[in-house]
Amino acid sequence: MNASAWQMLFDGAWTTLWISAVSIAIGVAAGLIVALIRLARIPVVDQILVLYVSLARATPLVTLALFIFLSAPTLGFGLDRSVAGILALTINTTAFNAEIWRSGFRNFSRDQREAAMATGMTPWITFRRIMLPQMVITSLPGLINEMSFLIKGSPAIAVIGVVDLTRVTNRISAVTYEPLPPILVACALYMAIIGVLVWLQRLAERRANRLAT
Amino acid sequence: MPEATAVSIRQLSKSFDDVEVLRDVNLEVTPGEVVTILGASGSGKSTLLRCINWLEQPDRGSIHIAGQRIGLDDAGKRMGAKALARVRAQTGMVFQSFNLWPHLNVLHNVTEAPIHVMGKSKGEAQTHARELLEKVGLSDKAVAYPGTLSGGQKQRVAIARALAMQPEVMLFDEPTSALDPELVGEVLTVIKDLSAEGYTMVIVTHEMSFARAVSDQVVFLDKGIIVERADPETFFERPATERVQRFLERHG
Repeated sequence: MNASAWQMLFDGAWTTLWISAVSIAIGVAAGLIVALIRLARIPVVDQILVLYVSLARATPLVTLALFIFLSAPTLGFGLDRSVAGILALTINTTAFNAEIWRSGFRNFSRDQREAAMATGMTPWITFRRIMLPQMVITSLPGLINEMSFLIKGSPAIAVIGVVDLTRVTNRISAVTYEPLPPILVACALYMAIIGVLVWLQRLAERRANRLAT
Repeated sequence: MPEATAVSIRQLSKSFDDVEVLRDVNLEVTPGEVVTILGASGSGKSTLLRCINWLEQPDRGSIHIAGQRIGLDDAGKRMGAKALARVRAQTGMVFQSFNLWPHLNVLHNVTEAPIHVMGKSKGEAQTHARELLEKVGLSDKAVAYPGTLSGGQKQRVAIARALAMQPEVMLFDEPTSALDPELVGEVLTVIKDLSAEGYTMVIVTHEMSFARAVSDQVVFLDKGIIVERADPETFFERPATERVQRFLERHG
């Protein structure tokens, strides 16, 4: 591989990284919002969200990315490939994150909530000061796990033409006729990214366990 | 005159499913008074205590804290969350299982509500918290996390946390039942000190000698009904009902 091939690989890795990072950031926050709205059990809204979560979890990422990218023009607006990719990843990961947050809520100690209410905290203060800080710690291992699933699933957005770390290996081998070196490098880069997440997950688990004792 | 009382409970009834756990309970607690509630397990004493700050919602009857009705407004409608929280802030509660917040250190467990409910400044809340920790004998544990404390220490932190809101009445729900026997004394000593300082308290307990030493009024609940109320001397020496005599023989 020559210098320009390396350059292309790193560009691809960068694309994978930033698109994943944006999707993760939106998806973690949106998942929390979906979980909160679902906990409020508002009729109709709740059913819509249940439908959304089960559809989003059941749809393959490739299909979802294609659907978003191709349906946007029929709805009267064109979508940038990256934006469509981010949208697909976000819709998918938000549904999983919502379930992770929701179980964090459901498993939260009733005793601690009662103690908060007994001191005169409103439900909102109880959520913000007592529940959320602990739920972040207890949900983090699950959330990070979902982040690594998202990154490993991100090559799906190549189907709409985003040149990510996987897609770029095709382009390089189309010129060099040597498919193995670029795909090996891509594997190593994925492993490095996932490795960082696994390390973070281990840290998060240790903190979560400390909270539990 | 609810204004003259710290807690006024009128005609309180409560059922869980089909079981009536409280029936027409009336109880007045005057400021500075210490009332202990005794009774066998399942007699409704914890439910009664938990109704006082509306952690349990009674089916009928009314409860006033320092003249303010809790749970329902004057028209009998359910209070909004904020109004309810404001009345609850007038009560402090100590739970059987401590219920400290594990993500906050001891000092922050005590200052959390004063800062975020009363709107106290951080400095003011911490000064007060340190005084309270000294009162319960834990000045050296301010930066420790609950996970590192013994049960007796946790319960003393929980007492300081409840006191920090300067409540009209302190509610104790079997505060020593979850403790190893050798740790019971340190918690009871703190509660006795509080009674000597004139705090108003309602205490559910199984510790008979403690109840006798600390109470101004002893209330005995059986199957959701107050069957006897008396000063501790009369209650323990000359119980009026056979039910209480049997109870005291078993727990004497």
